[in-house]
Amino acid sequence: MAGTQNIGEASDNPVAINVTAMVDVIFCLCLFFMCSFQFKQLEGKIESWLPKDRGMNTIATGQPLVREEIRVFMKWNPDSGTTSRSVLGNEAQHLATDTELMAVIRQRRDEYTSQGKTDWPLMIDAQSEVPWQDVVHLMDLCKNEGLPRIEFAAPEAPIN
Amino acid sequence: MARKGLQTEHDVSPNLIPMVDIMFLLLLFFMLGADMGHRELEVVKLPLAQTVKEDKEDADIETRLTINVFHLYEPEVMCAAYKAEAICRDKTHWRIAMKGKQYADHKLLVKQLQRYADTQGSDPSKPKISEKKLMVRADKSAPFGLVQEVLKDAVMAGMYKIECGAARPAPQ
Repeated sequence: MAGTQNIGEASDNPVAINVTAMVDVIFCLCLFFMCSFQFKQLEGKIESWLPKDRGMNTIATGQPLVREEIRVFMKWNPDSGTTSRSVLGNEAQHLATDTELMAVIRQRRDEYTSQGKTDWPLMIDAQSEVPWQDVVHLMDLCKNEGLPRIEFAAPEAPIN
Repeated sequence: MARKGLQTEHDVSPNLIPMVDIMFLLLLFFMLGADMGHRELEVVKLPLAQTVKEDKEDADIETRLTINVFHLYEPEVMCAAYKAEAICRDKTHWRIAMKGKQYADHKLLVKQLQRYADTQGSDPSKPKISEKKLMVRADKSAPFGLVQEVLKDAVMAGMYKIECGAARPAPQ
């Protein structure tokens, strides 16, 4: 009687298929994928826009010479292996921690807001030796703070 | 009373079907989880940022250009600083690559960018600006100057929509 038989007994499968070869292949495939497996890092992006009035498209924009901005200087110290940061106007004060830096930026932002100025960028003026991670970290802090305009300071392109 | 003799020989045939089922599921998991994407052929340790936006739903992902700024790999160059996750400032160890090709000459890179951005050959008096996006995937310890040069090249090629590649830190 079928009900009393164990599952998978030979009488259940009248056509016997040799699965050994298939199991071998699956084992090999499994081994390959297990060895080559690495967890995918969650990648994303931080969007930014470069100025349209530089490079090949040089259209005068009539911007004032003295710009309203919060300029953050980043300097690489090879001896200590750290990046020192300071804000324009307080160059002597090196802001070691993120809290100190953001406090100064917030203070400047509040000053601009109290004067009714809203359209100003945060300019990142970093030395070429500064690690990219430190620059991205500053961008990250500014995005967290809700500062929409982040710009990179760069030397003007030479006129050919 | 005659006792029934013990049967000592059994035909032992293990049932392979559940094992095959599990093996199939394991195989499926590893196959789907395998990261077969070449990421334009370079391995880059991306900087970490909390505010990164995932670009899964980005419609322009297919047409987007990717520039990698990366440190040379171990067999090609032996760099103790990079291996120790310190900052390597040897200029000869860093490379800029796009679509698997390395660019040491920035003029050549600008030309290639113009070609992909479809701004080449435009009237110099009325230059075109490309709407194509450029993803800059720079290593977290790459010098900012190198990224700055890539950004400058992008501007020269008429590309202004830039995306900085970053990774989200693992949840604690």
